[in-house]
Amino acid sequence: MSEASCAPLKLAILSESPADEAALRTLAAAVLGGEVSFLHPGLRARGWPSVLQVLPAVIRHLHFNTDADGLVVVVDADDSVVHTLAHDGPEHFHPQCRLCRLRATFRQTAKKLPPAAGRGRLLRGVGVAVPAVEAWYLCGRDETVTEAAWVAGQAEGRLPYTRAELKQRVYGTDRPSLAFETECALREVARHARDTRRLEFDFPGFAALAGELRGWRAEFATIAGR
Amino acid sequence: MIASIQFRSFKALRAAGLRLEPFNLIIGPNGSGKTSLIQAILRLRALSQQSCPATEAVGAPLAGAKKATAELLFTFMPPHARVSARVSGVSGLVCDQLQVSGDDGTDWAEVQAQLQRVRVFLFDHYAMAAPAAPESGRELAANGGNLASVLYAYRTQHPSLYAALETEAVRLMPEFTGIELRHDLGVGMSLGMRLCDEDEILPAEALSQGNLYTLALLALTYDPNPPSIVCIEEVDRGIHPRRLRDVRDLLYRLSYPAACGLSRQPVQVIATTHSPYLLDQFRDHPEEIVIAEKNGRSATFARLIDRPDLEELLREGSLGDMWFAGVLGGVPEEREL
Repeated sequence: MSEASCAPLKLAILSESPADEAALRTLAAAVLGGEVSFLHPGLRARGWPSVLQVLPAVIRHLHFNTDADGLVVVVDADDSVVHTLAHDGPEHFHPQCRLCRLRATFRQTAKKLPPAAGRGRLLRGVGVAVPAVEAWYLCGRDETVTEAAWVAGQAEGRLPYTRAELKQRVYGTDRPSLAFETECALREVARHARDTRRLEFDFPGFAALAGELRGWRAEFATIAGR
Repeated sequence: MIASIQFRSFKALRAAGLRLEPFNLIIGPNGSGKTSLIQAILRLRALSQQSCPATEAVGAPLAGAKKATAELLFTFMPPHARVSARVSGVSGLVCDQLQVSGDDGTDWAEVQAQLQRVRVFLFDHYAMAAPAAPESGRELAANGGNLASVLYAYRTQHPSLYAALETEAVRLMPEFTGIELRHDLGVGMSLGMRLCDEDEILPAEALSQGNLYTLALLALTYDPNPPSIVCIEEVDRGIHPRRLRDVRDLLYRLSYPAACGLSRQPVQVIATTHSPYLLDQFRDHPEEIVIAEKNGRSATFARLIDRPDLEELLREGSLGDMWFAGVLGGVPEEREL
């Protein structure tokens, strides 16, 4: 890695809660390595489809009004269509896949924007937690919780767990306080941050995010000319 | 705790019913019966102070009573599910008779004791900012006016609880490092908050409305001897939408103490709001949402969980947006153009 590619990156995170933001900061920093800083205060959306509604405005705001290098967006899949490799084919877009929709919205918005604030374009890091971010927290602790298990359950019409059950398994209640939720989230992602390979293997929705983040250092050096 | 209420000719609630949960968030337009629901509970509390209410079967007219036109029928949660209480009167404004049925001699006494601990709050930041009588800190006043004295009582009588409350206050309001309480002879007990960056204390009258309401909610939810039922009007008032998750958490601390590691009895909460952002916080628990509907001069209640298309609605957008759009009901009437 060149010296330029090790320059500090500034990330913005669009999330649904401070707990999610804290977890995503840790995960993004672990994947990116090197020095990372974050836009403060964080950006929030009120769940899907609010994320999709605010995303174009968020991208424009970051591009013109801030020095953020990239934006990380992670949403819960809930019971939407889960992204597959087939969706990555040329010209493919699945209208019920949240990853496809976020990527398309990002692409369509960013391509219209002229260079600003010393950078060509805002870098993109998009992920989808299947079915919810609590599944990521259980990765490596509960063998039954994987993206593949969820997809298989969808195909059979018998889901292996519900969102409420995942919350129960992570927090011991389906009504955790924000402070406790953040504490649990940080504890679990600290485990993943040491080695993200298991999370990437079990959750392709996280691997998609990690893959984009890994491309940032090189792209950052090229685009920013730093 | 109250399991259900049936209303007949009680203000706008002419023929309505409501099943209650440990936590209940009531949404709806102005004049749709949200406050009347709370007034009905207060009416029961007031009448339950009578030591010996009539114990005829509910439904039978009281001897010598005028024919009742307004009626409220209450049932209670286990272990008092056998008891029911009927409040009636010649009008919604004069509901002055109480009949209890299903009592085996102990049930009603226990229900009665719980009803005496019903509290209703509509916080007033002007009252909170004014100095309070030091001896008034036994329990939070309806308008929160004795907030400083209540906090002082916690600090002196329950120091570890007060420390936890202060830690939570600082987490919720990170511009401050702590709560300051001061007793000035002849003036009373006053409160302030220590600012982070400066060695300065912001007195209550300089604190924002939202910060004072947050402190009042903390005082209420950290009460070592909480009420049995808490009714809070406009619970989101003055508080930033991003802070409403914390408001929900504080209210859950009352209703679901076990989820916070507390071993005390749950407090039944009935809260009203006009905030779609607060409604969004209950996406995972639609069973806690009550929609008050106004049709002309009469009002009714419906539980969101009873909607057959709820699953689809939750897939398609946020509850707040659905409410504002009119899909959930609970919106003001409009004149036809």
